[in-house]
Amino acid sequence: MTDKTPYFEIKDLHAATEGKPILKGVNLSMVKGETHALMGPNGSGKSTLANVIMGHPAYEVTAGKIIFEGQNVLEMEPEERAQAGIFLAFQYPVAIPGVSVAKFLKSAHDATHGKKKLNPAAFLKQLREHIKYLEVDDAFINRYLNDGFSGGEKKRMEILQMLTLQPRFAVMDETDSGLDIDALKVVSKGVNKLTGPDFGLLVITHYERILRYIHPDHLHILIDGQVAQSGGPELVKKLEEEGYDWVREEFGQEVLAH
Amino acid sequence: MTGMTIAQPEKIDTLLPGLDNEGLARVQAETPSKLLQEKRAAAYADYRQLAWPTVRDEEWRRTDPSLFPLAEMQRLPDLAAQDVWTAHPWDAEFDVVVAVRPDGFAIRHQNHTARELGITVLPLAEAAATRPDGVEPYLRGKALPTPSGKFEALNDAFWNFGLFLHLPAGVQWERGLLVRYEMDQPDSLLIPRLVVVAEPQSRGMMVERLQSPDDIRFMAVPQRELYVQEGADFKLVSLQEWGLNSYQVSNDWGLAERDANLNWITLNFGSARSKMKFGGDVAGPNSAADMDGIFFASGEQHMDQRTLQIHSSPDTYSRLLYKGAVKDVGRSVYQGLIIARPGAIRVDAYQTNNNLVLNEGARADSIPGLLIDADDLKCSHGSTTGNLDPEQLFYLRSRGLSEAAARRALIQGFFEEVIDRIPQAVIREQVHQHIEQKMES
Repeated sequence: MTDKTPYFEIKDLHAATEGKPILKGVNLSMVKGETHALMGPNGSGKSTLANVIMGHPAYEVTAGKIIFEGQNVLEMEPEERAQAGIFLAFQYPVAIPGVSVAKFLKSAHDATHGKKKLNPAAFLKQLREHIKYLEVDDAFINRYLNDGFSGGEKKRMEILQMLTLQPRFAVMDETDSGLDIDALKVVSKGVNKLTGPDFGLLVITHYERILRYIHPDHLHILIDGQVAQSGGPELVKKLEEEGYDWVREEFGQEVLAH
Repeated sequence: MTGMTIAQPEKIDTLLPGLDNEGLARVQAETPSKLLQEKRAAAYADYRQLAWPTVRDEEWRRTDPSLFPLAEMQRLPDLAAQDVWTAHPWDAEFDVVVAVRPDGFAIRHQNHTARELGITVLPLAEAAATRPDGVEPYLRGKALPTPSGKFEALNDAFWNFGLFLHLPAGVQWERGLLVRYEMDQPDSLLIPRLVVVAEPQSRGMMVERLQSPDDIRFMAVPQRELYVQEGADFKLVSLQEWGLNSYQVSNDWGLAERDANLNWITLNFGSARSKMKFGGDVAGPNSAADMDGIFFASGEQHMDQRTLQIHSSPDTYSRLLYKGAVKDVGRSVYQGLIIARPGAIRVDAYQTNNNLVLNEGARADSIPGLLIDADDLKCSHGSTTGNLDPEQLFYLRSRGLSEAAARRALIQGFFEEVIDRIPQAVIREQVHQHIEQKMES
């Protein structure tokens, strides 16, 4: 039997950037082993939520809580969150010239695996397997991190990092945006390799397309910094057919007035 | 730190003890070769006439010449071949090694390669005495600017260690030469003079390592002169690791003839105060110069580097990348100039200087420049100065790296583009270690 107590929980989360409130009381809870999708129109705060979960210094949390496996995430540094098993696949991964993919992945692996570090040979073997699985060129690992990478390569790199770090909870921030269907399939394949009873996934997306490959147990719709609707997979189909307007109507005019 | 003694503007003719008429007479008495005596005498005449630079000279505006305690230093007597050899782990990487110490120098061939190839590594005095015609055109030759500067003339008149490297036409010298300076005599003045001639179609490489202990005061006034002849390819890597109480004013010049390639990498980590100037002239059609530099001024270090990319011929290429970091109250100056001489058309010249300022109180000045006397050329120069990028830091931290580890990775990464161009793994490793140590100190 799976444990039905929430292992990841966001409670009444408010956050602002440059003094401007973006998140206005987000509530969301996930049980271990589940995949949730978070959708919403542009500007609803999806990426802000992803960055706040990871601890981006540009966002200020003004109220609320994030709890992961009983720990108060908001009190942790970004690296402590990663070490605790949280992962964010970035929407726009930055390039880091001079830092090679292999070296970076080894440092990240070591930093997040504590005593379960691999020796360099075992690590390289595992890395090569992942690379093959994600249909990436072998030369990739000697390149500088995201430097000169295409959009699709950057997204595969994020998934490669996710496979390397083996997080217990991952947020994917619009990983599907800008990917062609082949790249999307590869990315989904990588993600599905991780899903299992000990892994939780929050897929943030703008398009229903990716949800054909990564099947969410729950869907949340974020509107103007709040979760306006939550439901099962049937919501995906409704969104696809009817867009966000009905959510706005049901959620109430007072939200739209902001 | 002391040393307010050179450069009193009202008495610019001041000659320093030991670097005056008497000093020259002593040097000339030590000089066996007539050619060198003539060269020294001519240089001394220039040296006497030239004024010491002052902060009013644009080139010295940000690096006060009075910061260098030249007047308090004792010129070492001409270094002679001695049994001063001590082994060094890097020696195995090279075919020939020169060890230079305050009491003499030793030249060692690690194997037969250099001799079999006909490569000459000789003390400059011996080369000038035994083959004056082979040395004459390259000592104070056309790579050097006219008129000479004060420190160039000083070096030409008073150098106390000279080395001549000659590559015959067509040789391919993979492993090259290591010259390591290990200077530990307090208040001594080393004036090294290097002459390199790479004959047509030859290829070669040399590395210099400059070291002195932190606890002794010491000064060096080096000058290097490189001739890369038609179709030749020569690379010089200079690793400056002088101790924190040492001083250096260096002037280096390279000249690339038709189809030649000159590659110069300067790695500046040591010294209390240093000022370097490097001028590379792509002097023949289709010649190219690559100039790369790393500098890292931490603590109270002051590092000033000036580069000249001189295009005196059409269809020439030069690319320069200098990357620096400053930390604590460290200070760096980079002044770059691309010079296209009249008639130098179809020129490609690129100059980039990037600076990391790692904390408040540290300072990096970047002054790129162009001096163009020709048209039909592609030139670009750019510089950036700033702290680490917060988005990059966050990205690395989000993958579990501590803030300190993320900073280290970014700073190493910042320099990596230059480090990648260093041929020897041992030197790349040494550079990584310097950067690491500076970040931890």
